[in-house]
Amino acid sequence: MKSFWPIYKRELFAFFVTPLAWVLITVFLLVQGMHFFLLVENFANAGSAASDQTPVQAFFGNTILLYLVLFLLVPPMTMRLFAEERHSGTIESLMTAPVSSPAVVLAKYASVLTAYGAMWAPTALYLVILQRSSDVDWGAAASAYLGVFLVGAGYLAFGLLMSALTSSQFLALVLTALVVLGLFILGVGEFVTRDGTPMHTVASYVSAWAHMNDFASGIVDSRRLVFYGSCIVLPLFVTVRAVDAWRWG
Amino acid sequence: MISVQKLVKRYGRGGSGGGGELAVDELSFEVARGEVVGFLGPNGAGKSTTLRILAGFLGMTRGSVTVAGHDIRDASFEARQRIGYMPEAVPLYPEMRVVEYLSFRAELKRVARARRAAYVDDAMAKVNVTDVANVVIGHLSKGYKQRVGLADALVARPPLLILDEPTAGLDPNQIREVREVIRGLGKEHTVLLSTHILSEVEASCGRVLVIAKGKLVADGTMEELARKRRSSGANLVVRGDLEMARSALQALDGVASVTSTTTGESHDLRLLWARAIDDSARLRATEQAVSAVVRAGCLVREVRPERSSLEQVFAELTLGGEHAREDDVESSEAANEGS
Repeated sequence: MKSFWPIYKRELFAFFVTPLAWVLITVFLLVQGMHFFLLVENFANAGSAASDQTPVQAFFGNTILLYLVLFLLVPPMTMRLFAEERHSGTIESLMTAPVSSPAVVLAKYASVLTAYGAMWAPTALYLVILQRSSDVDWGAAASAYLGVFLVGAGYLAFGLLMSALTSSQFLALVLTALVVLGLFILGVGEFVTRDGTPMHTVASYVSAWAHMNDFASGIVDSRRLVFYGSCIVLPLFVTVRAVDAWRWG
Repeated sequence: MISVQKLVKRYGRGGSGGGGELAVDELSFEVARGEVVGFLGPNGAGKSTTLRILAGFLGMTRGSVTVAGHDIRDASFEARQRIGYMPEAVPLYPEMRVVEYLSFRAELKRVARARRAAYVDDAMAKVNVTDVANVVIGHLSKGYKQRVGLADALVARPPLLILDEPTAGLDPNQIREVREVIRGLGKEHTVLLSTHILSEVEASCGRVLVIAKGKLVADGTMEELARKRRSSGANLVVRGDLEMARSALQALDGVASVTSTTTGESHDLRLLWARAIDDSARLRATEQAVSAVVRAGCLVREVRPERSSLEQVFAELTLGGEHAREDDVESSEAANEGS
């Protein structure tokens, strides 16, 4: 695990040195800023009687924007992780250094997770702005950020796996987008299937939409934690096996 | 330092059970500490595959490989710590500066923080890239990239360097520079380098392993390889009766044909041996030819044996087949001994 740190540092460097990173961050903050602006304006005009939600709840839950952003952000963030190294051949010098496969996988994963966190960090300012004119439920906010972090971490783990499965960055991007989209559509199934059917149960269990509503209201359900824990651990485990497979195969 | 026993690598489906493409076929050789060994073979002979297995990048199908006393299957990690490997394509991260990249590689190879800067400086000095230390790798010329790759291989001061075609794609001046660097490295490291250029081995290696189609076909010093050079004929310039000389030569054992051209008073005679012969046989055959011509009453002005070049030796070794050589028993035994 000693090799974790240098690889982690290099990955962060490689991400932030590209224009892609800054384009992604800019687009992300623009979309979120717009979202926040429209929300606050809406709340200000309609008055407190118009909604049973707080602005924090509306910002993180019950909104398509969160998923749209994840759908646009995650695939380009993760596509290069392994695919680029395999395409350019640098994977050969990386893997012939005294490093272990889990260390390489974890370092790369931790670096995108850090970048993801760095993208969300400026949005904390919105809460500070809100607090100037109203009360902010900091507990609910913390739980909302936990939700954002978990959903993103799960998607990023799938992205990392897709990047390890192919040496084409574009294919990794498409596959990751399909997984993210697929999970979302499966979750939407919660609203279109009848209550009590097996399909409904499955859909509600994987529905990021419903999960984020819970998290945004300050509900931290252990089922959600287990679900996203599995969404992180399982892809990472398969990635390690994939790395070992094309290495020793 | 390196011990390879019956190494087999089969690509694609089938694994050890057959099927797939056989890249390395029961290859065995040893490299002792302090040697600079050239790994020679035509493109596609299995050189890169073998080196990748040695470096711990590829798994093997069968056999055993020990590097610096560590089995690369059971103790891959320990083995990799003792190897400086330069892949054929010299992959580098184009967005990093040279010094950043080498520091990253040194850290990855477990060079202690306190010694890292000194090791990096030292490696850059050895391959003459200190002047581009702060240049982004993507902007470097091919020759510089090649040398940065070399610096990467030796930055952690490993006892063993494995270099896959270190001079591929360079211009003649750069090739000379890289060769000089490699010769210098031979003093401190055991070096195994692959190439398909013969003069490369002549210039920098003490010993050469020749492989073709995944099999070892020769193992020895350059002189031993040169001894495999054979002669296909000789040219004689004589003065006197042409017909007498011709018939005398034609009567000799082992002469297949004699052709002649006449310029002024001298005759150029070109003999072809019945088959390609090695150096000692060539000397005897030449003696016989000269004495036959003299006995025929001619005067000998010039004798020039035709000898194959090292390139032809290489071609014969690696293409195999056609030039069957019965008198080669001695030397091929020596090759087997070394493996």
